[in-house]
Amino acid sequence: MPKLARSQWYDLTRDMNWDLRYVSEEEAFPTDMSDARGVPAQEWWRWDEPYKISYGEYVHNQADKDASVYSVNSAIGRSHIFEDLDAGWRSAIVAHYGAIAVPEYVAGIGESRMARFGRAAAWRNMATYGTLDETRHGQIQAYFAHSLLDKEPRADWAHKALHTNEWGAIAARSLFDDMFTGNDAVSTALQLTFTFETGFTNLQFLGMAADALKVGDVDFGALISSIQTDEARHAQQGEPTLRILVANGQKQEAQRLIEHMFWRSWHVFALLTGLSMDYYTPLEQRNHSFKEFMNEWIVKQFMDQFRDFGMDLPWYWEEHFLSELDWYHHALHLGVWFWRPTVWWNPDAGVSPDERDWFEDKYPGWNDSFGRWWDVIGENARRGEIAQTLPETFPMVCNMCQIPVVTPAGYAAGYLSSTVPHVLDYNGRRYTFCSVPCKWIFESSPERFAGHTTIVDRLLGGEIQPPTVEGALRYMGLSPEECGDDATGYAWAHATRSAPSAAGVA
Amino acid sequence: MTTAPPTSSAAHTDPTGMVTPASAGPGRRRPRTWSLLGDVRRKPTPYEIVTSRFHYHFRRQPAPFEMSPDTPLNLWYLKHREGSPLQVEDWEAFRDPDKLTYQSYVARQADSEVVIDGIVDQYEARDHDASLDPRWVAALAKIYVPSRFALHVMQMSALYLGQMAPSAFITNAAHFQAGDELRRIQWVAYRSKSLSLCHGGNLGESKPAREVWEQHVAWQPAREVLERLLVAYDWGESFVALNLAVKPALDLVLTDTLAEVAEANGDGLLAAIGRELSLDGSRSKRWSAALARFALEADPQVRPLLEGWVQRWSEPAARGAEALAGLLSDAPRPGPAAAEVATKVRDQHQALLAECGL
Repeated sequence: MPKLARSQWYDLTRDMNWDLRYVSEEEAFPTDMSDARGVPAQEWWRWDEPYKISYGEYVHNQADKDASVYSVNSAIGRSHIFEDLDAGWRSAIVAHYGAIAVPEYVAGIGESRMARFGRAAAWRNMATYGTLDETRHGQIQAYFAHSLLDKEPRADWAHKALHTNEWGAIAARSLFDDMFTGNDAVSTALQLTFTFETGFTNLQFLGMAADALKVGDVDFGALISSIQTDEARHAQQGEPTLRILVANGQKQEAQRLIEHMFWRSWHVFALLTGLSMDYYTPLEQRNHSFKEFMNEWIVKQFMDQFRDFGMDLPWYWEEHFLSELDWYHHALHLGVWFWRPTVWWNPDAGVSPDERDWFEDKYPGWNDSFGRWWDVIGENARRGEIAQTLPETFPMVCNMCQIPVVTPAGYAAGYLSSTVPHVLDYNGRRYTFCSVPCKWIFESSPERFAGHTTIVDRLLGGEIQPPTVEGALRYMGLSPEECGDDATGYAWAHATRSAPSAAGVA
Repeated sequence: MTTAPPTSSAAHTDPTGMVTPASAGPGRRRPRTWSLLGDVRRKPTPYEIVTSRFHYHFRRQPAPFEMSPDTPLNLWYLKHREGSPLQVEDWEAFRDPDKLTYQSYVARQADSEVVIDGIVDQYEARDHDASLDPRWVAALAKIYVPSRFALHVMQMSALYLGQMAPSAFITNAAHFQAGDELRRIQWVAYRSKSLSLCHGGNLGESKPAREVWEQHVAWQPAREVLERLLVAYDWGESFVALNLAVKPALDLVLTDTLAEVAEANGDGLLAAIGRELSLDGSRSKRWSAALARFALEADPQVRPLLEGWVQRWSEPAARGAEALAGLLSDAPRPGPAAAEVATKVRDQHQALLAECGL
């Protein structure tokens, strides 16, 4: 091996900052793409990444990781493991691929934005690795999903979801375009890497990887745990960026950026991970609840992280965020299951008698709050009156998170004081929000969101024809075969409680 | 090391890496693949499966990104990508001749890094640095050590091209190229530090290298064209300026000519590293020429546009290369005269343009 250790020469590759002479600073780092928040150029040169790696180390590590994960996929592809997986878990996988594979690929564009418009060479180098990482994540997840097509035609959504106007795809695009594809470099460092990748990807990638291994889905488990090792590295771009902003009097702006994206991430991941962990994962493998994962991976970690950087907890922490941990994803699950033809996966109701006991244990009061709606749905299902369990109208959709407004369910469950959504009149148009923080995000930068229309705005505006459920499904790109249906054919409605000792004996 | 993603056993791979179907006969089921690829007649290759139609935001209505259509980033993309004069109907039909995926890129580069590690190892075992003429080391301090600043600008520029390109087939090739530049920079840093340990001086410090880049008269033409390259924001112009003008010209001096002169000055190590790294430069030329040919075939009307950009950027690039070549005349065994290098830059540029069909 070459004699010099990385530490002996590495700094020379970081210190490549210079004063521009032939073009101006604003020309080379325009505010639209870079937005240094007025922090002078040379202040950014102090940017210091906590994690260092050479190109040689990078390509060796990554080639080995890819070889290992692709060979698992190749071996699993020849087996019947996927067909034997629990139906609800398969739905979780299909939902994941649609919402995550292509967004991860375009996170590479967010990374290359930082790698071009970040204000320090050291940062640009780290983001160059990040660009490559995200190319990996988009490609490897697409490849795995593609290998499922013969067994699961809905794996096609791994590739096409973001090309459609399916409402969940709009919500994902809205989140990720706001977070990185359509964002400036400095905001991206705080919102993608500091806020999202240090917390929420852990939740989806490590939490779900643990579940995958318990369920027996070695393929998915190997895939996403390998991805997370990259995330853990390039996520560290946020910290030095935050330090420089805080040191230069921009703490308030940094706080706003983080609060904005934390809330948006929470809502989309309550939808994706919340439903997958608590309702779609088979009960036998459902050791931790989504709320417990949130407490462990997000609440504790963010509180530590905020304290370490001298930041304040988001203003909505207690009253809105911690409160929603008890009810928001349960309300979303009711809505997603009811409007199941509008999603590309088969929602698993996940409310058999044994599962309801689990909910009562993990979320005390669940049977009285959410269970009572499922009593009615289950009764209809048992009578074969499936039409009673399907939608004929549309919900309101939040003008910020693009997720249907579920405040009535939050109110009925006793967590909100009113069923009424939050509204704002701005420049002659009325906007509707599912929550106080969603409204606050809009009001903090209305120019970023005001010209956007939700899927319901489009319906009411005549863009979706005919304005019926069928017309909307066509607009969303869902063929009749692709529309979601109950994952287990309503088996949960007919299930009986297992004998008290059964679990122990098994 | 790594293997290519497995392909169906019912198919076979031809020498170009393309997978052909086991049978296209009547009655056979169409290969199952992404629905967005349409009614495909052959099974897409792994390269196509993980690259085709990933840019959901290109030419999306009413704006690329799911936010107010008039946000700065939407307007930026509408102006510099959708609004670029360089348009063809279907950018998705372009293919990188090397068909690189992330997996094949890191596997290939890991092997190539093993080659360079081996070269460095051999020379270090012979205490190579001690054998170098101090006057050669002094010449390196002027042209080689500060070159990492120039390479970094090319890294930034490739990353811009990648984020603005209209299809992932182009984006990925550009992003891998940015990785290549980072690699080159790290070997410059390694060798700079190594030389400083043997020959002292300030070769291993940043400030003097930066001063050469910012102030030495021989660096200014290159620096000027590179700084201006950073603000060539139209995606098409940024592609032509970087890959059909500035990078080929500067690479010729900073990698190829430098390697020749290094050999003449007893620096076989630098020459061997340069030769290995120039494989990355050759790959950049391959996909760039292929992209230019693709655009010309897709729409012959883009010819004057491409030619205009080539004309705008190639002379400043050649002047930058020529001025840098002048620094090699300080070597104990001087390199070719600057004018000779300039001629070579122009000749090689003509050859590249011929490859492009320009």
